Amino acid sequence: MAKNPIRHLYVHIPFCAKLCPYCSFHVETAMRNKSQRFLDALLIEIERQAGAFKIEPETIYFGGGTPSALSLSQLEFLLPRLRERFDPGRLVEFTFEINPATVSAEKARLLRALGVNRISMGVQSWDDSVLKTLGRAHTAAQSQRTFDTLREAGFDNINIDLMFAIPGQSHEQWMRTLEKTGALQPEHVSAYCLTYEEDTEFFRKLQTREFAQDENRDADFYEITMDALGAAGYVHYEVSNYAKPGRESLHNFAYWDGRDYLGIGPSAFSTVGAQRWQNVPDSRDYADRIFAGDSTASFTEQLSDATKLGETLAFGLRTNRGVPVSAITPWREQMREFRELGLLENSNGRLVLTRKGKLMADAVAEAFV
Amino acid sequence: MSIERTRNFCIIAHIDHGKTTLSDRLLQVTGTVADREAQDQHLDAMDLERERGITIKMHPVAMRYRAKDGHVYKLNLLDTPGHVDFAYEVSRSLAACEGALVIVDAAQGVEAQTVANVHLANKQGLTIIPVINKIDLPNSDIPTVKRQLEDILSIPAEEAILASAKVGLGIEEILEAVIHRIPAPKKWDDEKVRALVFDSTFDSYRGVVTYVRMMSGSLRAGDGVKMMSNNRPYEVKEVGVFTPKMEAREKLEPGDTGYVIANIKASSEIKIGDTLTGTKFPATQPLPGFQEIQPMVFSGVYPINTADFEHLKAAMAKLQLNDSSFVYQAESSVALGFGFRCGFLGLLHMEIILERLRREYDMDIIATYPSVIYEVLKTNGEMLNVDNPEFLPDFSVIDEIREPIVKCFIMVPNEYISPLMQLIMDKRGVLDHTETLDTKRVMLSCVMPLAEILVDFNDKIKSITRGYGSMDYEHAGHRADKLVKLDILVNGEPVDAFSSIVHRDKAEGRGRQLAAKLKEVIPTQLYQVAIQAAIGGKIIARESVSAMRKDVTAKCYGGDISRKRKLLEKQKEGKKRMKSIGKVNIPQEAFIEVLKSS
Repeated sequence: MAKNPIRHLYVHIPFCAKLCPYCSFHVETAMRNKSQRFLDALLIEIERQAGAFKIEPETIYFGGGTPSALSLSQLEFLLPRLRERFDPGRLVEFTFEINPATVSAEKARLLRALGVNRISMGVQSWDDSVLKTLGRAHTAAQSQRTFDTLREAGFDNINIDLMFAIPGQSHEQWMRTLEKTGALQPEHVSAYCLTYEEDTEFFRKLQTREFAQDENRDADFYEITMDALGAAGYVHYEVSNYAKPGRESLHNFAYWDGRDYLGIGPSAFSTVGAQRWQNVPDSRDYADRIFAGDSTASFTEQLSDATKLGETLAFGLRTNRGVPVSAITPWREQMREFRELGLLENSNGRLVLTRKGKLMADAVAEAFV
Repeated sequence: MSIERTRNFCIIAHIDHGKTTLSDRLLQVTGTVADREAQDQHLDAMDLERERGITIKMHPVAMRYRAKDGHVYKLNLLDTPGHVDFAYEVSRSLAACEGALVIVDAAQGVEAQTVANVHLANKQGLTIIPVINKIDLPNSDIPTVKRQLEDILSIPAEEAILASAKVGLGIEEILEAVIHRIPAPKKWDDEKVRALVFDSTFDSYRGVVTYVRMMSGSLRAGDGVKMMSNNRPYEVKEVGVFTPKMEAREKLEPGDTGYVIANIKASSEIKIGDTLTGTKFPATQPLPGFQEIQPMVFSGVYPINTADFEHLKAAMAKLQLNDSSFVYQAESSVALGFGFRCGFLGLLHMEIILERLRREYDMDIIATYPSVIYEVLKTNGEMLNVDNPEFLPDFSVIDEIREPIVKCFIMVPNEYISPLMQLIMDKRGVLDHTETLDTKRVMLSCVMPLAEILVDFNDKIKSITRGYGSMDYEHAGHRADKLVKLDILVNGEPVDAFSSIVHRDKAEGRGRQLAAKLKEVIPTQLYQVAIQAAIGGKIIARESVSAMRKDVTAKCYGGDISRKRKLLEKQKEGKKRMKSIGKVNIPQEAFIEVLKSS
């Protein structure tokens, strides 16, 4: 039994209407698995974990997959019962990921009523041709309607997910998407450079040279993003994350700070103290194990102090808080080199990445692992 | 059998002109091998040599033949490695003979390799019997071939024997010509042992098998012998002849060609061209023509996987047991790690050795740009032989650099003359003269630097002429030229594997090409990387690899942390494995890529 209570809870809902050709997350399109049995399994797992850990979350994050693929009645069943299984007294941020195509006004109001106070919307682009390349089910017009619906339902903390460096996407197209986003003024924007993950259709096309990657072009996309969102009043607080002051994602900061978090549902990761584990990435198998009373972990890892410190420094450096200068003593020489190269700077006793350094975060982080 | 009824001869032929078929036919007609064995009885050649269309080493073979005059003759057929790389070995094999059959394909005509080898045979004073083979072919053109014999080889056409080894035409006539035209071995005044060493092989049980031609005296088991080049004594364990299998005999007599086994442990103790004599009544003078074999071409050979160094070393030692003309010495390179500086007789020899290392020893290797031996005359009058650009003295103390040159014969169909002349010019060659071979072909004779034909000259001839051209060469001494050392610098540091000695006029082109290729393969670094080609201190070409702008993972959340950390660890490990030139990390594969392309 860990001494410290769990403050950060993640719930994985692995269902999507269809697979996106760039996505490597654990996702299932067979909606028949999206059953009562699955929801029961989630509740049993949280119950079980509440027996092992003290769960007093400050943040909850429903990710996927597509959590908004859950029906109204499923949401009404799951969310209240989940809250009954831990102490919600400290909860300040409850994020729900949604797909713009799967949220009606009714669902938006229900989510709000069930305590969700932050929405993360997978808009990706405001350009339908780019959305088509990405194989997304929604259109830009649907995203616009859903954004309005969410505002009408009372959500005052909305994140918009965007992607850039997509095959065929021009810098101009990307600038228009950023302008449109800036005009909507969501509280938070996550802007991700497309990553070619193994075992995806996009990766295969990269291998066969149907798609090409260009470091300079990608770097230009980054620069454009930083300029446009900066001008629209957002603080660039993590490599891919921008927020209005005070609207940073508390949940995600927990990961970057190296704090404990508990993940519920198939494929979800948890890190508590020196233990890290991942649930089995298959919803059927997951539910079977739950009902059989077996462990759901398919991967476990014991983290040494050095590994943990390395991770905390490597990932902490991705944020605008950086890492304390005192913590990097063993790497002082290398860090000085990075400072000379203009990748790092000292800001009130903390080392933070410069604008140039944000694009080179891995090269710097490598030193700590 | 008396020395008067012994004949020693060899066969000179271009690839595919029928040397193997004719040898087989001779073995068959003389009853040396039974008919049923005849097909593949003949001299085993390595796959590689077959592919390259040449044979390096075949066993000599002793035959008995009852001639039309009623007497039985002892005929010794020696093989000659048909390539200029082995010119010295060829010359020693020729020295063991009194005559040579020159085979010319009735449809193909005289080829470059034939010309080079006939020149060698003439130098040895051998009697030449021209044989026009494959006369059964529908496209044979005997009058043209006869004219080529006269015009190109200066052989009287009426001496030519018309034959078809395949269908058995003219075989007897050839055997009779061997007996009547080729002289019997010369008789010496004394009975001192003089045996010419013309080849050797290595047997893991019995040590070195030395191939000898007995010039005078006789040898039997138990005799004490010594090599005249170093006076090393041995005791003869066995003597014998090739039938073509090794067959022990009581003794070897004057005029015989056979083998001697004498407890010799390593083939490096045997020098081709050396004279074997008795310890009791030794000859006072060795047989003429002996030379130490000198490698002509040098290259660094490195294991691609650095852990394979010891394996490579063992493989090279084994190869050298069979081939003492291959030399190697450990060296190390900043770019490529630990490897060997290897010396070869020529480009083909190099290719064969490298290919054998790959195939027979399963080694994954890379070779640096081959170098010839340069004679460097220093301002103080001292002369150096330099085979590695690294050891070239500073240019301020060099008076001149002389490079080895060759006389090259190129035979090509008429329509390719002008691209071929362009190629010769590109390779710094000077066309000496051209001769018309027949209505379709000409022979271009030119003088060229050996260094220029090392890399891709033959391939280019083949590609320009769609495979119809052929080329051979003979060494023609050294010549001074405007030679410079070209260095490739990465952020100011020279990359040893890419240094080379090149002609001044070619330095820029090569420098630019190397720099451009390196730019392609050097991964972006935190810093900008300058790639320069330089002669002395003067930069003649430059490229730069811009500093890396982006090295960042987009997503890093709860589920990504372990995976991300492992990716970073892997990236870090990868950099550790790279070679560090100055501060620049370069993967070994990048160097290999460049070496492969150049």
